[in-house]
Amino acid sequence: MTSPIKPPEGNWWDQPINRRESIWLGIGVGWSVILFGWMSAFTRIGDQNPIGETYRVEAEDYRDKLQAYVDEGTDTEEGLVPPGDDVYIGAGQFYWDGLPVVLETGQEYDFHLAAYDVQHGFSVRPEHTLSKQINLQVLPGYEWIVPMEFDEPGTYRVLCNEFCGDGHEAMHGRIIVQEG
Amino acid sequence: MAETQHRHRLDVLGLFDNEYDSEGYRTCSVTGLEIHKSVENHVKLFGLTAVLFMVVGGFFAITVVGTRWEAIGLLSSSDYYIHLSMHAWSMLLFWIVFMEVAILYVGGPMVLGRKLPLTVLAKVGYAVMLVGALTIYYAIWTTSAPDQAPLLTAYVPLPSSPVFYAGALVFVLGVVVAALPFFVSIWQEKRANPGGTLPLVTFGAFITGIIAVEALLGGVVAFSSGLLWRLEIVTSLDAGWYRMWFWIVGHGTQQINLVAMIVVWYFLTHVVGGAEVVSEKVSRTAFILYLLFINMGAAHHLLVDPGISTGWRLWNTSYAFYGATFASLIHAFAIPAGIEAGRRKRGKGGGLFGWLTSAPWKNPMFAAPVIAIILFGFLGGITGVLMGQLQLNMAWHNTFATVGHFHSTVVLGTTITFMAVVYFVIRTMFLREFVSNRLASLQPFLYGGAMGVTALMMMYVGILYGVPRRTPEVVSNIPGTDFSLSAAEPLFVVFGLFAFVAIAGGALFVALAVGSLLFGKRIDPAGNGDLVSDGGSAVASQTMAPRDDLELADDPNDPVHAYEMRGTFVLCLLFLAAFVITYVLNWYLITQLWSIGA
Ligand code: HEM
Ligand SMILES: [Cu+2]
Repeated sequence: MTSPIKPPEGNWWDQPINRRESIWLGIGVGWSVILFGWMSAFTRIGDQNPIGETYRVEAEDYRDKLQAYVDEGTDTEEGLVPPGDDVYIGAGQFYWDGLPVVLETGQEYDFHLAAYDVQHGFSVRPEHTLSKQINLQVLPGYEWIVPMEFDEPGTYRVLCNEFCGDGHEAMHGRIIVQEG
Repeated sequence: MAETQHRHRLDVLGLFDNEYDSEGYRTCSVTGLEIHKSVENHVKLFGLTAVLFMVVGGFFAITVVGTRWEAIGLLSSSDYYIHLSMHAWSMLLFWIVFMEVAILYVGGPMVLGRKLPLTVLAKVGYAVMLVGALTIYYAIWTTSAPDQAPLLTAYVPLPSSPVFYAGALVFVLGVVVAALPFFVSIWQEKRANPGGTLPLVTFGAFITGIIAVEALLGGVVAFSSGLLWRLEIVTSLDAGWYRMWFWIVGHGTQQINLVAMIVVWYFLTHVVGGAEVVSEKVSRTAFILYLLFINMGAAHHLLVDPGISTGWRLWNTSYAFYGATFASLIHAFAIPAGIEAGRRKRGKGGGLFGWLTSAPWKNPMFAAPVIAIILFGFLGGITGVLMGQLQLNMAWHNTFATVGHFHSTVVLGTTITFMAVVYFVIRTMFLREFVSNRLASLQPFLYGGAMGVTALMMMYVGILYGVPRRTPEVVSNIPGTDFSLSAAEPLFVVFGLFAFVAIAGGALFVALAVGSLLFGKRIDPAGNGDLVSDGGSAVASQTMAPRDDLELADDPNDPVHAYEMRGTFVLCLLFLAAFVITYVLNWYLITQLWSIGA
């Protein structure tokens, strides 16, 4: 009846379950519901979600779009000041096209992320608080538009955290956020 | 001597020369199972091969750690990616999958007391797997422009050598072939006993097998399309599409590891720890939940990918409302409860934890799985659920913390468990004493303890300092900028030191395994009594019929579910508390970020 290497005999399905095991099963169901409920609710009530529209895009078209955007923006010593609320970033071996960019706190920007060649990883953190970091996958063929609004000024550092070829460790860019 | 007559002419070391009766069977003195030589010899073959691959993987762990610990800075970046690829494929695929085939043969035909059917296929599968593995090694080692080292993933459109994709395809097909004799033995058993129920271990192995085939078919799609693309037969291959198919095999194989490991936990805690199954219904239901839901876990890798709807991600990453997580919570109770109730029943445990403190901790075949259960649960399982939450994944994805998570699952969980299987095979199938019992007792603690700290450090540097995975530098120096993540350097010292201790623990395992096979004293087939739970000495086992003590388990008037499970309950509540605390902390960190997403 109770050995895992022998076939169970008799009506094993109707064997009673130890009370503590039943309680644990109940706790397990409850915890599973909480895990799902919170994650799902947070997509509605929360401020940090990896969610945004995606469009198909050819690398060449994206490059052109980004170039047009750069031309329209203002070049400053710090970096590019975008012409509006859109921020275009192109990931290539081994650079972040469109960075450095100068943004303001308290304004929501639409970040456009796409890769020119292979997969890259958009990994951002403020340079003085390394624990505040996020990571998004950047794929060729997809333009992902993820809104972001910064609340603290400072220099944000962008690294690539998807292996994109020998040399990927040098892929670095900056986002400068100024008091808005 | 009689034994030499049985020896095959190729069996120079006498590793395949056990004595069998005229039908080819012998009775195992530890499990009481009737073992046919066809099963036993193939288990030995696959197990031994697995250990050899671990030697290769372990060697590359040294160079990988020596580079990631930038104070040492062993390799240049191009070498680094090649070494990391060698490490990943040797360990995650070759060591683990060769072991898994052996475990299927144990869980199926061996436990059922059958012959291994279609041994030709087992051998062909073995050969094809071996060819695939060597091809992959060759492709990785000769990586040259325009190709890049594949690492584990070979993400299209970053080109890897076509030889690599071909090797991966061959390896995957070899595994399918090697698994066929297992399925046939289950089918034969069902034909022979139409109304019968499979033993729990066999049932779990069968579920493992099905999940494996699903995963491997995903691998066939991923690697063959990668190959066609690389040979320019197909001109474009969507990066997102490849990721999805790759992770069906990439994550699917991890689910094989999980389920195979749990099967071994039930097996070894019973055989050497006296555990019993406290509820067949509950444990089997958990395996069914795995079958239904666990493959959805592949979505964990796509949580911060573009082009996939939020609903799809929520549904899949949660395995449909955490169906598979719930199944793991069930095993988390059922296995320790089996030890507790089983030992209490045999008078081996007073108080809350007497059943644990009196357990055979010096026996590595008991200690290793229990260490694996604890470390896998607390470090691997919890972090897996955390990083599998859509939003928390933004903090974990592709950081070093991810590496910490999966070393907690595939090393602290699967590898330590499989080490125990190797020990068990050495003692009960190769019938060899360990060259040193003291070192064998020590090894799981050394390896598990050091790897546990290593994995924790990986998680800390990943989450708290945002250190990326898969890169030879960035902590003390990012080429071309003055910025670096050097704040993480002190933790890297701890990481590096403990990682080298862990590697030493792995080397000790290999030395004990190989040393015992070559130099270990032969065990009399009736010996090994000391392995039987609470079975006393080897001498006792010769006077006592094998497994007498475990036969107690069958008394219908003394059902195991009626025994106390207080200790397990307390342990599970502790586990839940750790789960809740880390969950809240991770969410706290995420909500500190600027606002992201629509
Ligand atoms: C003492 C033992 C081990 C040590 C010290 C160790 C160390 C490491 C380190 C530091 C990395 C990360 C490198 C990076 O991302 O830059 C790594 C990667 C990896 N390790 Fe291990 N490891 C050990 C054993 C194992 C075992 C037993 C397995 C599998 C069963 C394994 C599977 C992997 C995989 C799959 C990767 C990822 C490769 C990739 O990114 O493609 N490791 N290991
Ligand atoms: Cu990159």
